[in-house]
Amino acid sequence: MSTTTQTRTAVVARGLTKVYGTGDAAVHALRGVDVDFAAEAFTAIMGPSGSGKSTLMHCLAGLDTVTDGRVAIGDAELTRLGDKQLTLLRRERVGFIFQAFNLLPTLTAEQNIRLPLEIAGRQADQALFDRVIETVGLRDRLGHRPSELSGGQQQRVAVARALISKPQVIFADEPTGNLDSRSGAEVLAFLRRSVRELGQTIVMVTHDPVAASYADRVIFLRDGLLVSELERPTPQTVLDALMALEA
Amino acid sequence: MFRTTLAGLLAHRLRLMLTSLAIVLGVGFIAGTFVLTDTIDAGFSRSFAADADKVDVVVTPADDADAEDDGILPERALAAVRAVRGVRDAQPVLSGDAPLIGRDGKVVGDYPTAGVSIPASRMKITSGRAASAAGEAVLDKNTAKAQGYAPGATVAVLDKAGKRHEFRLVGIFDVGLDQNLAYRGAVAFTPETARLVTGAKGFTEIDVVSSGPTPETLRTAVAAAVGSGVKVMTGRERGDELARSNHVDTAFLRTGLLLFAAVALLVAALVIYNTFGILVAQRTREMALLRCIGATRRQVFASIVLESAVVGLLSSVLGLLTGLGLGAAAVAALKAFGADVPTGTVSLSPQTIAIGLCTGVVVTMAAALLPARQATRVPPVAALGTQAEEHTFRTGVVRVVFAALFTVAGAGLTAAGVLQSPGQAALLTVMAGGVLVFFAVLVLGPVIVRPLSGLAGWVPARLFGVPGRLAVDNSRRNPKRAATTTVALTVGVTLMTFMSVLTATVRSTVGDQLDRQFPADYILTAQTGGIPRSIADSLRASRDLSSVTEFRGKKAKVNGHDYEVGTVTRSALGTSVRTEASAGTLDRLGVGNVAVADYVAQDLGVKVGDHVTVTSGGRSVPLTVVAVLKAGVSLLPPFTMAEQTFEQRFGRVDDAQILVNAAPGVPAERARAVVDDATAAYPAVKVGSTTEIRGQFDEAIDTVLMVVTGLLALAIVISLLGIANTLSLSVHERTRESALLRALGLTRPQLRGMLSVEALVLGLVGAIVGVVLGVVYGWAATATLTQDVSFRLPVTQILVFIAASGLAGVLAAVLPARRAARASVVGALAAS
Repeated sequence: MSTTTQTRTAVVARGLTKVYGTGDAAVHALRGVDVDFAAEAFTAIMGPSGSGKSTLMHCLAGLDTVTDGRVAIGDAELTRLGDKQLTLLRRERVGFIFQAFNLLPTLTAEQNIRLPLEIAGRQADQALFDRVIETVGLRDRLGHRPSELSGGQQQRVAVARALISKPQVIFADEPTGNLDSRSGAEVLAFLRRSVRELGQTIVMVTHDPVAASYADRVIFLRDGLLVSELERPTPQTVLDALMALEA
Repeated sequence: MFRTTLAGLLAHRLRLMLTSLAIVLGVGFIAGTFVLTDTIDAGFSRSFAADADKVDVVVTPADDADAEDDGILPERALAAVRAVRGVRDAQPVLSGDAPLIGRDGKVVGDYPTAGVSIPASRMKITSGRAASAAGEAVLDKNTAKAQGYAPGATVAVLDKAGKRHEFRLVGIFDVGLDQNLAYRGAVAFTPETARLVTGAKGFTEIDVVSSGPTPETLRTAVAAAVGSGVKVMTGRERGDELARSNHVDTAFLRTGLLLFAAVALLVAALVIYNTFGILVAQRTREMALLRCIGATRRQVFASIVLESAVVGLLSSVLGLLTGLGLGAAAVAALKAFGADVPTGTVSLSPQTIAIGLCTGVVVTMAAALLPARQATRVPPVAALGTQAEEHTFRTGVVRVVFAALFTVAGAGLTAAGVLQSPGQAALLTVMAGGVLVFFAVLVLGPVIVRPLSGLAGWVPARLFGVPGRLAVDNSRRNPKRAATTTVALTVGVTLMTFMSVLTATVRSTVGDQLDRQFPADYILTAQTGGIPRSIADSLRASRDLSSVTEFRGKKAKVNGHDYEVGTVTRSALGTSVRTEASAGTLDRLGVGNVAVADYVAQDLGVKVGDHVTVTSGGRSVPLTVVAVLKAGVSLLPPFTMAEQTFEQRFGRVDDAQILVNAAPGVPAERARAVVDDATAAYPAVKVGSTTEIRGQFDEAIDTVLMVVTGLLALAIVISLLGIANTLSLSVHERTRESALLRALGLTRPQLRGMLSVEALVLGLVGAIVGVVLGVVYGWAATATLTQDVSFRLPVTQILVFIAASGLAGVLAAVLPARRAARASVVGALAAS
């Protein structure tokens, strides 16, 4: 949190470059991004369509390989790892919340929540499990399958799943993109509470200024470059910053 | 619409290929069958034609010739033919028995070697030359090879009286297409020698060569000269006749192979049905879009049916080519294994092409009809939906009612068949019941696949952790699809299990029968004539043997009908020869009495206490029936009398068969040596052991099982294509799910493992159903074969089937799993 005098960094990116394709067809999605994400903080990544914000998140999370530059989560250098180690790193240190299709349809809510731990062969901390379930308010829906849950409930299950393995960082990609505004607000409130109360680190990609205003800090991308940032954002300041980008 | 369909097909060439492979294989099997049999047919016709061209007129005994003269041309016929004007040469063909003595001093083979004389023009000498003098002989190449004789060697044969004659081997010949000679082996001599050795009184054929007149003219002249009771044909006519009789054999082969092709096609139809079902489900939005922009239900239906027609046609064409390859391969394999099968040019006949194309197209289109109807049910609004619905399956009332009807009818028929007295009618009833029960399984598939996959997945789910459990869940996610996929495999496994139960049971039943009928260590038989009585006497003198049982028999008329009348060593009855009387008792079998086999008693309508009249050599004698014996329990002839009675009537007759038992504690080698010594001087007397007989029988059964399994393998391969197809389409459907799992930390090998386990479960489910059906119907079928069947469950084989099915499923998953694991996580997540 910004009040802490000594801010630890959870994720570091230096000179991050990502090029898709080669020759004339080459698309430079990221053109050398230097950025730090503070631990136990809620950071939002914003930018117009095609600015590279999703690519940045994928590279930071070890889902995609980088063309140049380096990424580290804690003491792990992602850019040196092969697919197998990247997978294990995601398993141990990273949590995900996607815009849609977050849950396996064959599993119940509880099984979905416990899935990352089971893949890693770890036992869930029962106290933490209870606390997370309380936080997201899913106690009475645990036995339901995703098809029996509302969109907001599904997203809360996804949040709980990301929290349960106490990852070093949670990456959220437009987590409220498919939700109505009330459900969206609920999910964002949970994300903020998990940072405040559980000391979680969250990096969220969004194009919604209201969603971004739940974060402690917002960084802005344009054409694959980090162009500005904003501390303690409000919907209005975020909107202003976006307008400035477009100009 | 036509253009849309074609564009869609071209855009998905890979999908097209996967779908068509099943039909390609099915049609390939059919076409291959025709190519093979056509080639053999053509080969036969050609070589018969070639043979026929060498002679102008052939004289053979008439087909309806009286059995009295054994269908032989009298010797005077030859002289009559030679006297006909226009005959340049007439050569007789002689045939009889000339048992060849092998290197072990015993006669060769189970049947006496044929002693023949064949005109030089018709004889295919492969090395050396034909016999031209009295002391010379020529041997057929297979026998020569088996016995290791080459020209220059001395060979010995037994003449009709059992006397040994030695000949100098001057050549080796090929018997060609004569299957009788090929089976028995043949020694060829000059006509005079052949007549001396075999004792043949006439000829089996006279080959005539013309000195000028056309074959037709000569035929008329010869026919007039030889008179009635003979058949005179031109060489060409004879060739056609022989080719026709061989055609019957190839027709049998063809029908047999086509049965297996039908099974393969059934499986292919199931695979196609499933694939089209999945394709339609996947293209819901595409269909809905077409409906949105104005396509009618009829047009959507037509587009799917058209797609199936195109797929069917293309696959059938490929299938025909595959069949050509398969047929050529089979022909090559036959040649490589040295089968004496003549072959013509390998080619696709117009008939084969028509049958292959029609079958392929019809099967494909029929299998696509239901999915096409499903496609018409897609509402236009579905185009606007974003996410594919999870397929839910509820057991409908109609389904349950139909399944219940099929089950009750099928089980009822099966039970009726099993309870019926054994016979073909019972077997057919059971099979009809089996077909109905199979329909029940087909209808009930989606209902039972859930619990079954739970059962099959119980171990994998515990063994492979999270991926294992997810895989088992996935395997039953779409019960309809899983059911159709596994039923395709079930068909093959059912038939394989059925065959293996059947053969195991027949093996053990026949084994039991052998033990009952030959309660002996050694069996002595004579290849020609009888076994001299002195052999039994010398065997009895040995202390190493405990019992020697003689069987003697003679043909006689009983109440006016021809029957075998015989006797057996009295002391053996009830000890070495087990008997079971359904009426009366053998204890009173004395002079003037006779025991009758039950089936004969029934035919003649005689019972205990009745008299029967036995006539032979013009003398009749009445005998009293004292017992009716159950046939099948022992090897006793239809009429068994006491030794004295038999001797009085027929005199001192040689033994037909002797059963020998070693004394307790005597080692097998010593007992065998005693028996061998006693028979050493008699080359025609062969010693067999029950172990050998069982071994030969086991070998025959194993061969049958192997051939059938090989032919069913194609059906299994096609069903595996179905599993691969289902999985790859599931992988496609679950792209985002797989990406999510990868993001959450599932490694590539784990993802691959997950799909392998899913395939394993599908394979096991198919195998379990198949094994249950196969065992039940194997049992039911054996129950209809004969009374007292000793049912045997080939547990090891069945376990192998189950394991192999699971393994095959895993193999089928290799490619889809690789593709799923290789997909980039980010790309898959972005795809919607």
